[in-house]
Amino acid sequence: MSNLKKVLRAREVTSFLFLAALFVIVGLINPKFFSVSSISACFNSSVVYTLVAVGMAFAIFVGEIDVSVGSTLGFVATVVGSLLRDGANWIFAFTMGLIIGAIVGLINGWGVAVMKVPSLIFTLGTNGILRGMMYIYAGGAWVENLPKDFKDFSSVTMIGQFTVYYCCAVLLVVSIHLLLTRTRRGRYFIAVGDNASGATLVGIPATRTKVTAYVICGLMSALAGIIFCSRIGFVTSTSGSGYDMKAVAACVLGGISLTGGVGTVIGAAIGAVIMASISYLLVFMGFSSNYDNAITGVILITIVVADALMQHRTAEKNRRARLAARTSVAEEVKGGVRL
Amino acid sequence: MKNLKNKPKFSWNMFLVVLLATEFLIFGSKNPKFLRPALLFNSVNDYIAICMVSLFVTFVMITGGIDIQVPSIIGLTSITIGVLWQDFGMSPGVAVIFAILLAALCGALSGFFIAYCRVQAMVVTLGGSFLYAGLALLISTLSSTESYQGISGFPDSFKWIAKYKVFGVVPFQIVIYLGMIVIAYLLLHKTKYGRSIFLVGVNANAAEYSGINSRLVKMSTYILSAVSAAIAGVVLTAYLGTAKSDLGSGLTMNIITAVVLGGTLSTGGKGSVIGTALAALIIGLLRFGMPLCFKVNTQYLDIPIGVLLIVVVVGRAVASNPAVTAKLSRLRHEKKKAVSSK
Repeated sequence: MSNLKKVLRAREVTSFLFLAALFVIVGLINPKFFSVSSISACFNSSVVYTLVAVGMAFAIFVGEIDVSVGSTLGFVATVVGSLLRDGANWIFAFTMGLIIGAIVGLINGWGVAVMKVPSLIFTLGTNGILRGMMYIYAGGAWVENLPKDFKDFSSVTMIGQFTVYYCCAVLLVVSIHLLLTRTRRGRYFIAVGDNASGATLVGIPATRTKVTAYVICGLMSALAGIIFCSRIGFVTSTSGSGYDMKAVAACVLGGISLTGGVGTVIGAAIGAVIMASISYLLVFMGFSSNYDNAITGVILITIVVADALMQHRTAEKNRRARLAARTSVAEEVKGGVRL
Repeated sequence: MKNLKNKPKFSWNMFLVVLLATEFLIFGSKNPKFLRPALLFNSVNDYIAICMVSLFVTFVMITGGIDIQVPSIIGLTSITIGVLWQDFGMSPGVAVIFAILLAALCGALSGFFIAYCRVQAMVVTLGGSFLYAGLALLISTLSSTESYQGISGFPDSFKWIAKYKVFGVVPFQIVIYLGMIVIAYLLLHKTKYGRSIFLVGVNANAAEYSGINSRLVKMSTYILSAVSAAIAGVVLTAYLGTAKSDLGSGLTMNIITAVVLGGTLSTGGKGSVIGTALAALIIGLLRFGMPLCFKVNTQYLDIPIGVLLIVVVVGRAVASNPAVTAKLSRLRHEKKKAVSSK
């Protein structure tokens, strides 16, 4: 019983129920949606979002934010794409992409954790620089003519109709989740985000943890960039823009609190599926994809406002309970003497 | 006390003026065309939106919030004017009033969630940027014109806003902008309301206890920034002669850079209208001068502006580092000692 309660109270479960409800509603409106191919398409199309959102989740766990993930994704996609187009070794190209991601993460981490610059502002700056570098690297042109087997690999399926990419992403997310919850170092992230000075006092290296979070965030966006390349098959000069905001939205939908210290990467992955399927679901419901942004905005605002109101209510309730407990104790001690 | 408080702000604004002068010097010497008044005034249209909006985003950031939804409100205003005029047969003047009211409503909605429901400003305005951009797209589908084309063919009486030149040289947009600077300056630095904005930014609880309706103050700043975005949307629509739903996209970083470069603390409690106005001008001239004088592709402009943003924030972080400030004050102290002993 208490286990069931615990499961229900977990925030990512709420997000999962929301996703399920969304699928059921769409299915009731259009029964064609209830097919293996369309439901697995929802999950498969979310793979890039999932990786970016999980990276973003690390930055948010430690109480910061990273809005440069979109252009990291785009820059890595441009570099890897053009390397592959020019016939470079796959391993070499992927390693280059991951190194770029790690360097970007290191710079962001330095600015935010060491220099103590507000993260939104610092990463907004790196975002602009990366976007400009992307133009320069590609010369403003599209990166096209990627090797065919690289593109075709994106449609290879593994379990049922799930692509290899999505299965690997799920595996990655689950192992990250286990590392975060079951290991000592993994718990540092949540601890730092919950209370940075408290974490420092008990001997957790807060600065190093924050830098690590940013490096992981950069690596995940780089990985997302590589998969983006393979799935889409070409890279334009605006590729990746908008992913930053959608990743934040996915994290919030997945029950991660933007104040840091609350949430799981599983939640981020579920939020990413919701974000990625909205436009797909709209088509099934007979709306044009023009509604995409408006609906995303409405869902995002509704969820955060409801969450904030609920949190405020619990905080208020706890405060009242504490106050009541304190006054009753005081009354007992004073033997009913009222002040 | 007064002296103490005014001194650093003054020197920062002086620094901005020097930076602006350097820009004129470098760009002017590289390409004398840069200094031609007609060209210079014409260039204003490329960055007037950044200038106008950043003035009032300063208000938001002084209260400790942030507003990243303004670019979508620019587009929303523009397309609303277009659709109301073309497909609902309103006169452009009435359409403009409706659009500004709609923008104020959008700002009030976001402000309400931030101030009264205590949701982080970042998330609400993030949601708002999706919502209002989506709304703009939906409004554009009401029109008989395809949304990517934009609605054009406005009457001259509307285009007049951007075509009229005071004394034959100064574009009317600049007059509007100067008016906005004066209003923002008076509002922020000379009224009780302005003081309460600062106080809310320093400590919202203390402000509440001292009788300020801190929530209302917070909400009002979002309305102001939305209205300024609406005015920018009107001016841009009049200048381009086309109403489009994505007019403001990509301006977020420029606006935040202008506000931060202008000396506003992103944690709230400090900032000035003059600083923001100067900083916005610096960014605007950078956007105009780099392509003209150094043949930099306009798409690369994000690099210098990103670098500028990072250099400013890191520089300020270094300067406010306790170890550095202690060293600086020790240096100053020793200097004073040396002077007095002489």
